[in-house]
Amino acid sequence: MILLPKTKLKNQLALINAFSKAIIFIVAIFVISWAVRVISINETDDQLIQKLDQVYELIETNGIDVFIDNETNNQGFGSYNILKEEYISIETSIDTLLYEYIADQKREIDSDIYDYRVISATISVDEQVYLIEIGKSIYTIISFEQKLKSFAFYLLIFLLLISIFIDLSITQILLRPFGKIIDKLKNTQHPKQFDYSIIQTRTSDFMYLQESIALLMHQIEEAFESEREFIGNVSHELLTPISIIRIKLDNFSENTQLSDDDLRKLYEAKTTLSRLTKMVRSLLLLSRIENKEYLKNENIVLSLLLSEILTEFQDRADLKQQQITFKNTSKKDSFKGNSELLRILLSNLISNAIKYTPEKGSVSLSLENEKGNIVLNISDDGPGIDQKERPYIFDRFKKFGKQKESFGLGLALVKQIADYHSIKIDVSSSQKIGTHFHLVFSIKAD
Amino acid sequence: MRILIVEDERSLATELIQFLENEHFKCDWGANKMEASELLAINPYDFVLLDIGLPDGNGLSLIEEARKNASEAYFIVITAKGELEDKLKGFELGADDYLAKPFSLLELNSRLQAIIRRKFGHKSSEIKFGNFTLDTVKRLLLYQNEFIDLTKKEYDILHYLVLNKNRVLDRLQLTEHIWGDFYEDDFDSNYIDVHIKNIRKKMAKFDETKWIKTLRGIGYKFIAGDTST
Repeated sequence: MILLPKTKLKNQLALINAFSKAIIFIVAIFVISWAVRVISINETDDQLIQKLDQVYELIETNGIDVFIDNETNNQGFGSYNILKEEYISIETSIDTLLYEYIADQKREIDSDIYDYRVISATISVDEQVYLIEIGKSIYTIISFEQKLKSFAFYLLIFLLLISIFIDLSITQILLRPFGKIIDKLKNTQHPKQFDYSIIQTRTSDFMYLQESIALLMHQIEEAFESEREFIGNVSHELLTPISIIRIKLDNFSENTQLSDDDLRKLYEAKTTLSRLTKMVRSLLLLSRIENKEYLKNENIVLSLLLSEILTEFQDRADLKQQQITFKNTSKKDSFKGNSELLRILLSNLISNAIKYTPEKGSVSLSLENEKGNIVLNISDDGPGIDQKERPYIFDRFKKFGKQKESFGLGLALVKQIADYHSIKIDVSSSQKIGTHFHLVFSIKAD
Repeated sequence: MRILIVEDERSLATELIQFLENEHFKCDWGANKMEASELLAINPYDFVLLDIGLPDGNGLSLIEEARKNASEAYFIVITAKGELEDKLKGFELGADDYLAKPFSLLELNSRLQAIIRRKFGHKSSEIKFGNFTLDTVKRLLLYQNEFIDLTKKEYDILHYLVLNKNRVLDRLQLTEHIWGDFYEDDFDSNYIDVHIKNIRKKMAKFDETKWIKTLRGIGYKFIAGDTST
């Protein structure tokens, strides 16, 4: 299989058509010129044979002496017309064999060499063998063939160009509905946005294609809807019993008669329930993002959002006597997205950085523009992520050495939100210098 | 204060009623939209605790209905879905606050108290204990007339403790109060301990009284026999 660059169907069709036509034309040129040659030569041969018969007749009625004067030392007879298209020669032959054949031969006449179709025959008269040759120039045949070839060649190019042009326009017209169908699919980011109106076409395949796509879209939309519903239901179904337990525990701990030991057990139950709650909420959030249920139409000024989050976390850093630095050198830092989700993404990263940085360590953030994009770097002084674990840090329910209480959804959530917003996120880490997250927010031109 | 609880889960409603009645609220219960709508039409309520996921539809329309009937009730919307859209729509329709399931009863109480303080003007904006004054409007702690420098989180913790005086507040409740619905993997209660330590240190400069009692491994309790508002 030859690898060709990807091109549009209509161009491919036109190319294939042109190619096959070219092959047919080339074959046609050779076949026709061959046929012309064969026919003309056959015709010439017939004429030569007729002429030879006429010569035989002449010899029979008039005798060979008319052509050959035996008394003047066996001179041959030769004659050709002015344009040297034909010639005839009779001479005595030393051969005693009688033969008759036709062949292409070169003959020198007046020091010019000409191509002739020559019939050669030997005849025995009065015990003397004579050789008769009648030639007919085949120059006309060859030149006709050559003219035919060159004419056909130009005709071929001309016809090819016309046919490519016609093919292109016809396929363009024929494939127009197909192009529209493709455009419609390209513009559909979400099954809900799909335009179910039918594009008019006389091609039944395209009608079938459209019907099939519409049917599929309906099915996808339905599956999507039922999944959304399912997630909504699950969240309700799970969070309601959790709520009931939570409120019962709260009410129960209102009881002032409880011993400290009982209170401690209650507290442990509550913290376990809280973990369950967070897990359910995180899972729901993940599924909702997967289902693209969040709008991304808010203009978020990243430096402002970061400052807000850092203010929220300042106390945590202060408690660990950590230094948080935020360097903002960006000129453009407005990003279109969902502010709630971006807040979760940034909070999780900053919270992790603070959590894993030891006391008196430092966390540094920088926001800058790079190649028209916004780049955010978050670095910490922490112990770093083990090389073996690094490829899996964004996976769900992956737990690493030191995070005993974590259930491993925080970074999965970060990744999911980043992907949802087409934010490129990279992590580099070493045990000496800590962990470094590199985020690229691409600003689209539109 | 009269409060209407719109909640389809009986056991949840029962617990809410038990707690709120202890807090001296008068409670009614509507298990679905229809019942709630009838109750809203007949009785004047100060508060409506509205779970919007009801068997006969989304409860948000009850807010509109109440507003049409010139009800002055304050709506606290409760949702299990924790949906941002529900939250926004709720606020648009005139809900006054929002709680995601599951929530702590003490959190609910503090939200109710905040609305009462803010809108009814029944209580002064100052809470006094000993020679300390907590100004809930300016969010300040004063000793006599001297200003005590608390961070935002320290103020929030102290305020929450004072609001729920003589009651055990565990570290989870305190964490949830100051951090809200933060999607964080693990629950780190150590921050609360350090915050409390700092609050105590700052208050001890002025007063020897041990206002905040520690319940080891559980949480804290604000002891105040003589707080006044």
